[in-house]
Amino acid sequence: MAGEKQRTVKVIKEKRTVSEEVKANIKHYNKMKKLIKDALKEGPKTIPEIAKATELPAHEATYYVMSMRKYGDVVTGEIDDMDEYFYYHLNQKN
Amino acid sequence: MENEVLSYDALVIGGGIAGEETALNLAKMDYKVLLVEKELSIGGKMILLSKVFPTLDCAACITTPKVSETARHPNITIFTGSEVKGVEKKGERNFEARILRQPRYVKEDACTGCQECEPVCPVVVKDQYQFNLVGRKAVFVPFSIANPRIAAIDIENCSLCGACERACPADAIDFSQEPEEKTYQFKSVVVATGYKLFDPIKMPRYGYGKYKNIITSMQMERELAPTRPFNTILRPGDGKMPDNLAYVLCTGSRDHTVGNPICSQVCCMYSIKQAQLLMGALPMADVTIYYLHIRSFGKGFNEFYETAKGMGVEFVKGKIGKISEKENGNLVLRYDDIETGQVKEVEHDMVVLSVGILANDEIGQVFKTQKLEFDDYRYVKQIDELKRPAMTNIEGVFVAGAASGPMDIPDSILSAGSASSEAASYLALTE
Repeated sequence: MAGEKQRTVKVIKEKRTVSEEVKANIKHYNKMKKLIKDALKEGPKTIPEIAKATELPAHEATYYVMSMRKYGDVVTGEIDDMDEYFYYHLNQKN
Repeated sequence: MENEVLSYDALVIGGGIAGEETALNLAKMDYKVLLVEKELSIGGKMILLSKVFPTLDCAACITTPKVSETARHPNITIFTGSEVKGVEKKGERNFEARILRQPRYVKEDACTGCQECEPVCPVVVKDQYQFNLVGRKAVFVPFSIANPRIAAIDIENCSLCGACERACPADAIDFSQEPEEKTYQFKSVVVATGYKLFDPIKMPRYGYGKYKNIITSMQMERELAPTRPFNTILRPGDGKMPDNLAYVLCTGSRDHTVGNPICSQVCCMYSIKQAQLLMGALPMADVTIYYLHIRSFGKGFNEFYETAKGMGVEFVKGKIGKISEKENGNLVLRYDDIETGQVKEVEHDMVVLSVGILANDEIGQVFKTQKLEFDDYRYVKQIDELKRPAMTNIEGVFVAGAASGPMDIPDSILSAGSASSEAASYLALTE
């Protein structure tokens, strides 16, 4: 198409293929992200609450919530009454 | 590449604090230096630390000016993401080195480090610069104070979707880049390859990797750093703010059973430093350090140790036998109380393993014509440790920093001073 830039990604696509592992990883992350977002639609939750709602192991919930926080999908809220767990909620700016 | 320089006075292998200091000293004496670093940024492990002992100065505030000075010096050329594949001595003051430069798939002169590419990337994998505590994208700036602060593409995990290329406002993404291996000439070589951290997975009785609330001291270092992966100090197992932490000293050091019988020299002090920082970050928390001996031998170190005790850090002379996990994620430490001779059990909600340091002996494979000698612990052998500590068995090859043995930051810088002086004296003979 006239005016369209030549994308170098086309060059590498001729030499490499995306592994099944990479594809599975993307699918898995998106699934986790959706699960967590759905859980947080009801309101802020702590990581154990997110883990319960999503049926994820708590350490996996921590990893995904923290990754989502890093990329702005989730923001940290207040700490609970026992000063143990922070609440996380969806970033309304997204 | 046009006008590419293929000949330098010195090759410095390793871009940590010792490599930078060596390169800078030589560059200031007007020698042309090529600094080769395997990671995507120079700065080594120091740039990832929170603070330094015993002054509690911000590590980044000390190291980033040196990193910038190294990067900007006209006599220093830096290859990041690169490896020295082979060094051959061709005669007196003549070394030939094959250097492999891996592509970043990003044009270094075009990328502004704006990170516009990151949000559009669909891939999230574990972030090695945050010691796997959080994810990163397949296109990423390694960390916020990286130098060069340029994005790179982790091609093994890339989905080849091209979203980053479309999003880049500077047209810096370039998937057509390829690995490049070339031979360069040098008059001298300085090995500044640093050390490796002990992987506690090799000690199954401590449960690292299995029990999620056990982390390494480097992971805690990241949790304490201003560029930390979480918003505060949290247990990776469930996001709880810990209030009762334990440090297990000598994890993988002073231990014949794991093949590392020597003291790592820094573990006591960095653990005491972290304990002090934790007391500041979590004022209500209890911190207990389980130790065999506290080796606070340096200037101001013992006062630092006393300060920690005064702040309320508890020190228990005890050898940890086993760590097990409770259902709530808390950890039970079974230990031999050396003071009383009793075996005791105590519960903590988070455990930090103060891992020892190991020789980075892969550099041995690099020297082809003459074998680089190692000491009994696989560190680069200092052939005249007392009088000329930077000398190796190969004339013209010098060693700087923790490549020759465990040492802290000031000693690494001192060692680099010695290596650069020796290299400069050697280079002066050619003039």
